[in-house]
Amino acid sequence: MYLFFLSITVIVSGGVLALFLNRHFILMKSASALLIASGCLLGLCDAALKLIHPVPASASIYYLRHFTLSFQIDALSAFFLVLIFGISMLAAIYSFHYMHEEEKPRATAVNYLFFSLLTASMALVVTATNIITFMLLWETMSLSSFALVIYNHHKAENRKAGYLYFVFSHVGAMFILAAFGIIYSCTGSFDFKEMAALTNAAKMVVFIFTFIGFGSKAGVFPFHVWLPHAHPAAPSHISAVMSGVMIKTGIYGILRMYALLDFHTPVFGEILLFAGMISGVLGVVYALGQHDLKRLLAYHSVENIGIILIGIGIGMIGVSSGKPLMALLGFAGGMLHVLNHAIFKSLLFMGAGMVVHKTGTLAIDALGGLLKKMKITGTTFLIGSLAISGLPPFNGFVSEVLIYFGCFEGMNPNRTAFIPILLAIISLAVIGGLALACFTKVFGVVFQGEARSSAAENIDEKGLTMLIPMLVLAGICTLVGVFPRTFVLMAIHGVSAIGTGFEPALLEPFIRFTGNITRVSAIFFALIIVSLTARTLLYRGKTITQSGTWGCGFTQPTAKMQYTGSSYASSILAFFWTVAPRHEEHARIEGCFPGHSRYHSKINDVAELYMNAVIVDPVLALFAKFRWIQHGDIHLYIGYILLAIIVLLFFI
Amino acid sequence: MTISIILWFLAILLAPFFAAVILKVKAFFGGKKGPPILIHYYTIIKLFQKGSVYSTSTTLIFKLGPVISLCAAAMALMFLPLAGYRPVLSFHGDVIFIIYLLGLGRFFTIAAAMDTASPFEGMGAAREAYYSIICEATLFMILILFFMLTGDLSLAAYLSGSLPLGLWQTAGSPLLFVIIALFIVLLAENARVPVDDPATHLELTMIHEVMVLDHSGPDFGFVELGSFCKLFFYSAVVSRLIAPFNPDHPALNGCQFIAALLVVYAVVGVTESVMARYKMDKVPKFILTSFALAFFAIIVTLEFLK
Repeated sequence: MYLFFLSITVIVSGGVLALFLNRHFILMKSASALLIASGCLLGLCDAALKLIHPVPASASIYYLRHFTLSFQIDALSAFFLVLIFGISMLAAIYSFHYMHEEEKPRATAVNYLFFSLLTASMALVVTATNIITFMLLWETMSLSSFALVIYNHHKAENRKAGYLYFVFSHVGAMFILAAFGIIYSCTGSFDFKEMAALTNAAKMVVFIFTFIGFGSKAGVFPFHVWLPHAHPAAPSHISAVMSGVMIKTGIYGILRMYALLDFHTPVFGEILLFAGMISGVLGVVYALGQHDLKRLLAYHSVENIGIILIGIGIGMIGVSSGKPLMALLGFAGGMLHVLNHAIFKSLLFMGAGMVVHKTGTLAIDALGGLLKKMKITGTTFLIGSLAISGLPPFNGFVSEVLIYFGCFEGMNPNRTAFIPILLAIISLAVIGGLALACFTKVFGVVFQGEARSSAAENIDEKGLTMLIPMLVLAGICTLVGVFPRTFVLMAIHGVSAIGTGFEPALLEPFIRFTGNITRVSAIFFALIIVSLTARTLLYRGKTITQSGTWGCGFTQPTAKMQYTGSSYASSILAFFWTVAPRHEEHARIEGCFPGHSRYHSKINDVAELYMNAVIVDPVLALFAKFRWIQHGDIHLYIGYILLAIIVLLFFI
Repeated sequence: MTISIILWFLAILLAPFFAAVILKVKAFFGGKKGPPILIHYYTIIKLFQKGSVYSTSTTLIFKLGPVISLCAAAMALMFLPLAGYRPVLSFHGDVIFIIYLLGLGRFFTIAAAMDTASPFEGMGAAREAYYSIICEATLFMILILFFMLTGDLSLAAYLSGSLPLGLWQTAGSPLLFVIIALFIVLLAENARVPVDDPATHLELTMIHEVMVLDHSGPDFGFVELGSFCKLFFYSAVVSRLIAPFNPDHPALNGCQFIAALLVVYAVVGVTESVMARYKMDKVPKFILTSFALAFFAIIVTLEFLK
């Protein structure tokens, strides 16, 4: 544990140091980024070693006399620690060139402080082993990320995003607290380990409450409303960490509660499976309808959380129905997808960060043709897009295949939960197809074609520290996709801590499948090389000329005539109109020669739409009735306090 | 193994020939003589001899598109048992790999189309992305049925071996639905009438053809060869389901394979001759029919296998 705490100390000291160095902008950035990154590297090595050779490690500190803060690293924690430290390290490196606003040294210093706190608290949350420790760090994590979301607080929409995030993370935290309250009242202990002693009914309530709480952090539909607002507001390396890693602490919470409660009912699995399917399909449908690059990526997080939940749900159904292969494959697929999503989503957010850094806009339909100027960003973004669409030979494919295997094993030999599994397979297929449509849209409109506005012209991609993390992540995407064996084993190690009661050795035939992926990827690459050679030979000595795109006889094409992202997605969205209603605004056309006009379309998120009508408005109406309590008279407020104390005295 | 690899080469080489059968059938229905049966070879050789014109808007992706879509289609053929021989590659789960590999090919075809900055190609790309979602859902529905029947996830297990899936076996009746569903997917994925029209070059009415409008020379030759391989792949799967027999003699087996293939290609030709292309908004409903059929097949089988 010493190495772990040492790395946490180094990370936090990097953040605190920034406050003292804010007069020297470059020094501050380099010192903080270096300290945070090296702290993360230390933690990463430690966690990776613990994942490969699990040694029980625990530590505890007394806090305020009555409470103990205790930590423990098991395989599940180590798996998430690898993720947290790895992505945060790259984000810290990326921040060096990304945080360029020299006129705002203090805001930058505060950003580094909260970034270090976020990293440290995430690492500590996944190692906490009692209620007090967990809640304390969970709140630190939520609050520091809230501070990061409102980094650009001079914009009203960012303040709104921050507010929304604050409300959601605290309503979620209240649910978790309520669940912990039930646990404490039943067991009388703060220790996580005592949880298994609860009655089954209590376990049910605790699991559902924590699912809502952790689900709102993870971005499960319909608790995802904060996500598409908060991610675009935060600086890009923060979005990368929040979307890649922080929302995964919600998944960690669900897995940890499942392991601790040790209650194998099919209901849990089915809840997760259905929540996963809905999040997965709707997340990608809404993503297709977005006009803002980072909002689109944020909705893809909802989708991928859905895929992860499908995997975990399949795992839980497998455990409850006594099917070892289904359980292990489901959990392993879900866990591996946690890792994969962290990798490609932070890559994509970093790419989006480079785009906004150089062009100043994230509006998809204002960009175009960036690939010609941004070769590295464009290529790495392409790899990220292929990976997130689940295409071979990249990492997204491996985890999705494991989940598919888990689903299919559920039908073998006798069918358990046939309809849910059938729906899960079909939704995975539909999610894959929609993700492909969405990322061909993003890549095609943003990086290909011609610039649609002056913002996308005359740009470059300078900034070495921004390019290196993207190259590293794109490399890992390919590495996991081509040589998945080590990473699948890593995920299986992580699963062993969930306590499924099955031997991981059963997965041996499926680990052999990873060898097949390596083999067919090699053959595929060989085939591509052969075709490319043939192509070069065929083109030898031929005349190759350049010309404009064939406009079907039209000779004056402009960049404005290109297909836009909105038009690309419109027919697919029309198919899903029931869940993704389109809202259009345009001026009425009047007269024979109408002048300038405008058109605006927006795809409404039903959760957001109905959240206002069903929850927010009634709650506000209810509390408006109690407005008379808030009269502004300080004397009466003191009276309230006195009254409250007296009433409490009767109860205690 | 050597024979499998030779057969794989033969499949790629013969794919353009079979595609010409469709043209011959259409010519017969039109009362015409039609182009020579080797027309596609002439076209490809002609294309390979030419140079290319590249749009100033395009990047490297435009040149990679044809190569990757050809490789994906050719790679898919490696998993296909041909004429009773084992495929070049086969493992548990290869069907999922094939579906996603064809997805990779599609990604690059679309990316190459978007690379040209042409609104027509963008339109085609959007349609391609849309319709293939439903096709994939259908394919997975069929996969669930095949898994229920065989307990395996590999193409070789479905189409070869001692007891392949087929129309004339015990589970034949639900497989009739599957064959029709797969045929609809074949028409949609390979740009055939009534979903798309490979013969016209009227930009606004097309899906696949319009996406390759800017390719020329050897690149376009690769695109054509890739689409012939893909058509061969789907046709071979459908034909094997129709004729799942394993005659002892290899020559007999080969004849059966080719005959069944010719039947499927001829049916495609007949479909193209007697039908008009659907209006664009009818196409999703047409493809959804295949999804519904596959679903019915599963429901029927659920009762059937009790």
